[in-house]
Amino acid sequence: MSKPNDLVQGTLDLLLLKILALEPLHGWAISLRLKSISGDVLQVTDGSLYPALHKLEQEGWITAEWKQTENNRRAKFYSLTRLGRKQLQSEAANWQRLSAAISHVVQLSET
Amino acid sequence: MRIEHWWFTAPLRLKSILRGRRVERELDEELQFHLDHKIEEGIAAGLSPRAAREAALRAMGGLEQRKEEMRDMRHIHWLTDFVDDASYAIRNLHRTFGLTAFVVITLGLGIGMSAAVFSMLDGLVFRPYPVPQPGRVVTLAGTSRDKSIDDFSYREYLDIRGGTTSYDGVIAGGPLQGVGFSAGPGTTPQVRVGMLVSGNYFRVLGVEPQLGRGFRDDEDEVAGRDAVVVLGPDFWKHEFASDRSVVGRMVRLNGADFTVVGVAPDTFTGMELFQRPDFYMPLAMARRFSTAPQKNFFEDRDDRELTVMARLRAGVSVPQSRSEIAVLAQRFEREYPALNRERGASVLTQFEIRTRADAGEWKFISIFAVLALAVLLVACTNVAGLLLSRAQTRTREIAVRLALGAGRFRLIRMLLTESLVLASLGGLAGAAVAYGAIRFFHTLAIPAELPTTLPFQLDRRVLLANLALSVLSAIACGLAPALQSTRADLVSGLKSTEADSASGIGRRQLWGRNVLVVAQVSMSLLLLTASAVVTRGFHNSVAPPTGFVKDHLLLARFDPRLVQYDRAKTQQFYKLLAERARTTPGVQSAGLTLNPPLGLGAFDRLAFVPDGFQLPRDRENFTAMMDTVDEGFFTAMGVRILRGRGFRASDAADARRVAVVNEQFARHYWPNADAVGQHIRLDSRTGTPVEVIGVAETITYRQSFEKPRDFVYLPLAQHPQARMVLLLRSSGDPRQLIEPLKDVVRALDVNLPISETRTYEDVYRYSAVEGPGVGIHLVETMGVVGLVLALSGLYGLVAYNVSRRTREIGIRIAIGAGPADVLRLVMGKGLVLVGAGTAIGLVFGLALERVMNAILFNAGGVDILAYVVIVPALLLATVLATYVPARRAAKIAPTQALRYE
Repeated sequence: MSKPNDLVQGTLDLLLLKILALEPLHGWAISLRLKSISGDVLQVTDGSLYPALHKLEQEGWITAEWKQTENNRRAKFYSLTRLGRKQLQSEAANWQRLSAAISHVVQLSET
Repeated sequence: MRIEHWWFTAPLRLKSILRGRRVERELDEELQFHLDHKIEEGIAAGLSPRAAREAALRAMGGLEQRKEEMRDMRHIHWLTDFVDDASYAIRNLHRTFGLTAFVVITLGLGIGMSAAVFSMLDGLVFRPYPVPQPGRVVTLAGTSRDKSIDDFSYREYLDIRGGTTSYDGVIAGGPLQGVGFSAGPGTTPQVRVGMLVSGNYFRVLGVEPQLGRGFRDDEDEVAGRDAVVVLGPDFWKHEFASDRSVVGRMVRLNGADFTVVGVAPDTFTGMELFQRPDFYMPLAMARRFSTAPQKNFFEDRDDRELTVMARLRAGVSVPQSRSEIAVLAQRFEREYPALNRERGASVLTQFEIRTRADAGEWKFISIFAVLALAVLLVACTNVAGLLLSRAQTRTREIAVRLALGAGRFRLIRMLLTESLVLASLGGLAGAAVAYGAIRFFHTLAIPAELPTTLPFQLDRRVLLANLALSVLSAIACGLAPALQSTRADLVSGLKSTEADSASGIGRRQLWGRNVLVVAQVSMSLLLLTASAVVTRGFHNSVAPPTGFVKDHLLLARFDPRLVQYDRAKTQQFYKLLAERARTTPGVQSAGLTLNPPLGLGAFDRLAFVPDGFQLPRDRENFTAMMDTVDEGFFTAMGVRILRGRGFRASDAADARRVAVVNEQFARHYWPNADAVGQHIRLDSRTGTPVEVIGVAETITYRQSFEKPRDFVYLPLAQHPQARMVLLLRSSGDPRQLIEPLKDVVRALDVNLPISETRTYEDVYRYSAVEGPGVGIHLVETMGVVGLVLALSGLYGLVAYNVSRRTREIGIRIAIGAGPADVLRLVMGKGLVLVGAGTAIGLVFGLALERVMNAILFNAGGVDILAYVVIVPALLLATVLATYVPARRAAKIAPTQALRYE
């Protein structure tokens, strides 16, 4: 499977869930949003974005709906499900624990 | 959490499966949407449309790969793959139609035979009681020292009910073989099967009547008070045409009025194996139906006629309840030592009851089951061999697939799908075979006076077994070829159609095929041995001598209790009946017996102590089978008296008690003395002395192939019985005696029905010819099918081996090998394999024969004759199977062979 190289394993799911928690978006908008909020630091290739979205959908964390975009094209909008919200909470908590621990270690080695 | 998860994902999966095309389109549309934006972005950044498009596609990293990845996300690819594989397999199999047909027939025979035998085994052993939670229903049984089990008496039942805590309820049932039923007064009673049950019977079993009610618990408390009856479902349908107003109606049973209170549900076919009670009455009405008039059902603790069953309380295990009942049995022995010496009690599960040692049928069926599975195994090895050969010719295809990146697992799955399709077709054929076989079992007309139900049927359970067998055989015959053919190394696989030429792999593959040949030969030898033993065992028995004369004999069954005769009146009736029958024109001789030999009835057992015989310390008495007969029996049945005399009219109730024993008995207990004049004492050392006045020839009593057994005859006058069979020996056709006999009976009592008239040959034909005949046919068919399958498999494998070595043979001939050398080369290998298979088959065959002889037949020792015939026949057949292809190989012209690809 295509994996974004510079993303920690599993964090793409977290990012996508977080972005969709804010508002329902279609794939293109998600890719733009990813780029803009991470300031180009987090590179997610287009190739890995859609399989990841599909996986989340199949897991039941997000759900998709076909709607009109602002310039009148049909697009698939993803939004978070109740299950996805729970998943986001637990993944976010996990991430915070992990990153806190890592930054703790990193600071130790510097002083 | 998991369920909630499914709630969200299940609709998606369903959608992917059912609306696959639409999902695909949406996938395209979504990705296209993204690409369009990306291209626009590129153009806005100053790229040419074409360059922008290329950049966009590059960023996607391969559109098709992404799509495939997303399809995989849906977790349904295994299903779509399966559908693809299956349709590929069907196309493939269609192309090789002949081979497919052969495999399907092969598997069908194997699966069908196994399923048919399973239906027998299921009916006799496995099918659970037709009640809710059947696994918690156990049987409580009395046990004696020789491990046989028996029933309880009414008093004992009450004590068990009051003295145990392991159960939610303890029930008792007493099957009644002949109950006179008439729908109203004035109609002639018909003989029916009834059952006396405790008041809690239906409640404890959890059986809800479909009409009316079951019994109340108090309805079995006062003797003779509640004359109520619950009808069995079949009886209600046939006798009352499913009339719903039957509840409340009066019917006459053995001459007394009973009120119908309910109808048992259709699902409740009774707790007995071979008979379905037509109606149920409370135990308290037992006196009306008593079969042992000498005994008092409600008082005598040794009038043991009741099958006691119970529903285990939740949380109580069988061993726990077993120890409880054992303690109770010790109490019985303490309180009533004379009636309970050496008697214990145990709790048996349904399985234990069905497979107990003294029930014989399941042993036969188990052997049939082993043989049927052997046929299936031969069929599977056969098919495995064929698939293996075929997989070999597909080596190149498989190598190409592997080279193109197909996973090995995926390929194995594809090949297994193919064998699954084959096995499913085989399973369908198998269902047809099973259906035919079960129909064949049912063609057996059992000449019993009461309808006997064969519990064999093609039901859901059998079909399920059929399905399971199909899947198992798919794996059994598909896995090895699939594993082997996907192991081929690519280079040689791509280079040549003959992957075997790569020596290392070739040897391993050959080894697998050799194992198949050996397995087939030994398996078919096993089958042939078994069918020889069974056939010979039965045939021995079917042929005379039986020790009696079976033609020109008419049987007529009577039960004067149907018209409320008491004991004295019954005795008087039989005395007069025999006297008058004897003087009827056309009758040469007439006799009465409780059970004619081979007449399907269960013989009573007599407990006795022979005088002058050292009784082992731990035994109270011996038991032997017995029959009650009158003075005319030995002449009428043609059983010879070897020493002493038969019974006479002077052996009356008040005369000295006498008995006739058979020769086996005489030799057993008085090996060095004349049995005539010896005494046996009934029941115990201090029991009534009975003088042996004659020794009769040993005949076959229960089964025509039984071992010689001890047997005692007691005179009817001294051992009164209610149900008797009249034997009339005629000079002409015995059926011509039916009308004169009816006149005789009518002259004695107009109302007394004759329960059954039948020629003895009918009975004999069933018990000694047709009954065993079903077994013979079954086993013979298995033997023949096994042999044919094994031979065709062997032929196929050898022929395939030869064709694969055509080039090698050509080279050998080209450099000077003669036809004889080629024959030796090709056949030698086959013969070694056949030899090995024969040796293994012989070992197993001998073991099987031992087992079968020990369990079933009186033929002791090893049956040399069978092997003298079978082994050479098998060898000859297998030699032929190798010779034909070998000869063809020897004839090949070298030039042709070398070009052969």
